[in-house]
Amino acid sequence: MWRATWKSLLAKKLRLALTTFAIVLGVGFMAGTYVLTDTMNVVFEDIFTTSLSDTDVLVRAESAFAPTAAGPGGGGTEGRDPIPESLLETVAAVDGVERAWGDVSGYAQFVDPATGDAIGGVGPPTFGTSYDPASGFLELRDGEPPQGVDEVAVDAGTAERYGLEVGQRIQILFEGPSREFTIAGIYGFGDSDNIAGATAAIFDLETAQEVLGKQGALDAINAKAVTGVSPTELRARIDAVLPDIAEAVTATTVAAELTDLLTEALGFFRTALLVFAFVALFVASFIIFNTFSIITAQRTRELALLRAIGATQRQVTASVLGEAAIVGLVASAIGLGVGILIALGLKSILSAFGVDLPAAGLTIVPRTVVVSIVVGTIVTVVASFVPARRAARVPPVEALREGQPVLTGAPLHRRLVWGLVVTLLGLGALAFGLFGESEVAGQAIGLGAAVTFLGIAMLSPLVARPVARLLGAPLTRLGVPGRLGRENAMRNPRRTAATASALMIGLGLVAMVTILAASLKGSLDAALEETLRADLTLTTSTFSPFSPQVADAVRAVPEVEAVSEFRQNGFRFNGSTAFITAVDPGTIEQVATLDMEEGTVGALSQGSILVHRDVAEDNGLAIGSTVELAFPATGERDFVVGGIFGENRLVGDWVLSISAYEQLYTEQLDFYVLVKGAEGMAPAELERAVSQAVESYPNIEVQDQAAFREQQAGFIDQLLGLVTALLLFAVIIALFGIVNTLGLSIFERTHEIGLLRAVGMTRGQVRGMIRWESVIIAIYGALLGIAIGIFFGYALQQALASEGLTELTIPGVQLAIYLVLAGIAGVLAAVFPARRAARLNVLEAISYE
Amino acid sequence: MTTTGTDVAGGAVGAAARAVELTKVFGEGDAAVRALDGISVAFEGGRFTAIMGPSGSGKSTLLHCMAGLDSPTDGRVFIGDVDLTSLSERQLTLLRREKVGFVFQTFNLVTTLTAAENITLPLDIAGDKPDPGWFDQVVDSVRLRDRLKHRPSELSGGQQQRVAGARALVSRPEIVFADEPTGNLDSRSGAELLGFLRSAVDDHGQTIVMVTHDARAASYADRVVFLDDGRIVDEMIEPTTERVLDELKKLET
Repeated sequence: MWRATWKSLLAKKLRLALTTFAIVLGVGFMAGTYVLTDTMNVVFEDIFTTSLSDTDVLVRAESAFAPTAAGPGGGGTEGRDPIPESLLETVAAVDGVERAWGDVSGYAQFVDPATGDAIGGVGPPTFGTSYDPASGFLELRDGEPPQGVDEVAVDAGTAERYGLEVGQRIQILFEGPSREFTIAGIYGFGDSDNIAGATAAIFDLETAQEVLGKQGALDAINAKAVTGVSPTELRARIDAVLPDIAEAVTATTVAAELTDLLTEALGFFRTALLVFAFVALFVASFIIFNTFSIITAQRTRELALLRAIGATQRQVTASVLGEAAIVGLVASAIGLGVGILIALGLKSILSAFGVDLPAAGLTIVPRTVVVSIVVGTIVTVVASFVPARRAARVPPVEALREGQPVLTGAPLHRRLVWGLVVTLLGLGALAFGLFGESEVAGQAIGLGAAVTFLGIAMLSPLVARPVARLLGAPLTRLGVPGRLGRENAMRNPRRTAATASALMIGLGLVAMVTILAASLKGSLDAALEETLRADLTLTTSTFSPFSPQVADAVRAVPEVEAVSEFRQNGFRFNGSTAFITAVDPGTIEQVATLDMEEGTVGALSQGSILVHRDVAEDNGLAIGSTVELAFPATGERDFVVGGIFGENRLVGDWVLSISAYEQLYTEQLDFYVLVKGAEGMAPAELERAVSQAVESYPNIEVQDQAAFREQQAGFIDQLLGLVTALLLFAVIIALFGIVNTLGLSIFERTHEIGLLRAVGMTRGQVRGMIRWESVIIAIYGALLGIAIGIFFGYALQQALASEGLTELTIPGVQLAIYLVLAGIAGVLAAVFPARRAARLNVLEAISYE
Repeated sequence: MTTTGTDVAGGAVGAAARAVELTKVFGEGDAAVRALDGISVAFEGGRFTAIMGPSGSGKSTLLHCMAGLDSPTDGRVFIGDVDLTSLSERQLTLLRREKVGFVFQTFNLVTTLTAAENITLPLDIAGDKPDPGWFDQVVDSVRLRDRLKHRPSELSGGQQQRVAGARALVSRPEIVFADEPTGNLDSRSGAELLGFLRSAVDDHGQTIVMVTHDARAASYADRVVFLDDGRIVDEMIEPTTERVLDELKKLET
């Protein structure tokens, strides 16, 4: 029996190669994700360890809670207050301290001397830090350590990217006034050129304190123990002498905290990528199902012969499943290798975005190997289960019958019932996830979507024939190739449907994401239309926070009537992290409409907070309620709810006043500043005046309303592009499915193609015939996918309507373009099968077996 | 009248198809097999010729080369005045489409097309419209009028071969090549098909060349050409089943 399995495998090398490819890509994606994130983990842990290599105990301000990975982007937000510099002497004096030194860090952003544009800020932070001559963490690559108020050192990554050299002058932006420095040196961090793409401006301690606005203060004090004193012991000794505002922790604890943060951040990144890997595998499973269905159908006589000579049904099933297991195993192993290449590719993409990972090897842990192989093999075996069972039910007599025997699946009415049941189950899970407010909503939505796709794929053969007939109708005018292409697409509706299903899933998700993005843009636009009254918006192009001095500079412009700044940061409420927006109660109503449902904005001036109506509802808050909020630097504080507001795009769910914010947070950076011009001021003139006022802040973009909205839409488009690119993996796998099915069908129709060639069909016409079949399958899949995508998009929009996704926008043109692209993809998928069909040897094709 | 085949002139003017010094070698070196060994033969227009011979005599290869399905190793093949060996692959395809009709032993029909569509397939491929009068006449002569809308899977073996026969005639080709057309049929269906081919020659002056190993089938022809070891060894005019059987017996000894 196993010999038959092997022989059958070897006889179908090419056919299986294409199937294998689907698994290889899916597993590769998954393995690549693991390898990349594991590598990043190791690299960063290494950086943490190195950065703390000289430190045994660290002294820092007490914090109510550790900052989370999902903290506000940009800046050097470390979430803790500084501690007085005087503590350094206290610590140094503790018995057992060999050496103690202080650190400060904060927001600092380079301005590219070549272009005058601010550098970085997209994702990784831009920070400034002090330099300790004794620290082994920073590794001088060029020049000298920075000394004095005029010198800075740059991380090697930034220097490399922007061609910065020792001796060059460079402008740096801070919370306070921007300044110019001379580049004294260039540093690496151990083996890395930078830390996860962050740009680092390195100063001596005194300069750092000054430019980062931390005179007389330190963010942390590092202490090294004398030989014979353990870090734990030293920590206890230091802690005993510290005032309440500060705490001492061992370097090990700090490293663990940092690692936790990292794991959380990378975990999110990994999960996101794995979702796409699973989509790819899901699509691949359809290809496997289809290939094994066709292969076993073509082997019917052989399987019947096996049955005739005494193989049991179980043995036949096992033989087919064994074949699948071998294919799965081999493909997964190759996928693992491809995954490593994918990880390398992603690594270079990351480095193109400025996130440098050291060239040192990739991290491949046993988990990656085991999970990749097990998942890949299981997916293959499970997907081939139904074809295996079908093969086993071949009656032995088929071996003796003349002509091509036909393997039939379940009768169509049974398919209808089961398909409907599965579809409804999927939709149920989807609805539960979307509207059930469950803890496992994400998983329910994912599972629901997958099961729905499965159900539709089961139902799809029922309509494949009529739809193919309809789609192919225009082709009949193109003569015999078009007509036969259409007939071939209709010939085996199960096959057509299964092939199209793979594409359906890919395009369904792409369509859904497109609809969501369009709806998001529409909702955002509508919301901004209602809320934004400002003439100008000041932001950085990357939405990184910027110095509050920008707002002050604009206030000095006579053409301006009102300037209102917005700040944002994280806090904790009821144990989970949320964001609070700080606004200026005196001016906000001139630049924006806060749709107040109860209370007034003025309540902010009394130190009250405003909350979104959903927050109020969920937590049973009303005007006058007291809530306890925890802030990273300053701990727990009670606030009175002074107002409740409705849908709003400018502020989040929680709002307080700027003056309250200044007391709660260490770092004071604005996220955006809204400007209202004086009465009768021409927009162009206002813009010119404001732009001039902020000239010395090259990171600031001055935009009118339209430009601001366009910029916001641009962010959504970027995200859409990224997600679509990741889904493209699944679409490519689906296209290989079409190639595979066409190849197998052509093999099956060798005689027929030979006959057509004999009676005068040219090679071009044969190619045309295959091409049209492919196009019909592709468009059928795309149509189903887009229909499901529209439905999913609609359902998601409905579910998220209360979260601000108020508008449903279905971008018809975009979806139509997808349809056309699917058709073109169909043409491309047909290239190789068509060429093969056209080159069939006519004589061999028509000769009797 | 019988003559030895080797001295049959290949250059007869007015022949519908002819081969001159036609050689076909399969394989190379030691494994090379001379399927056709310098055959010269002419097929007259408006006649029904049968090609016979034991298995491996090269009869099918001769038909394939004559019909432009296979390319000879040496020698020349003419359909009318056209030298097939000088044609490109595409020109050969167009020639098959326009000047040649085919009936094969099996796999004659496209399963997704109806009988009517199968009959007009070569015309449709060429983008031509069938002559309705001729189409009707052909369909009636194969008695398929009530089967035109059926797909091949709904037709009997005999009906399928008659559809193939109708397809071969509907484009009024210069010559029809039939490769064991009755090989898979019972004797009644076979006789029906052969009667149809015969009448196409008698009533419409169609030229037909048929490969067969069945003496009774050969008896429908005007002339039988006997092949052995890739050479023409004999031929027979006005064959009868008995005479053909005798000749075959002679060849086998």
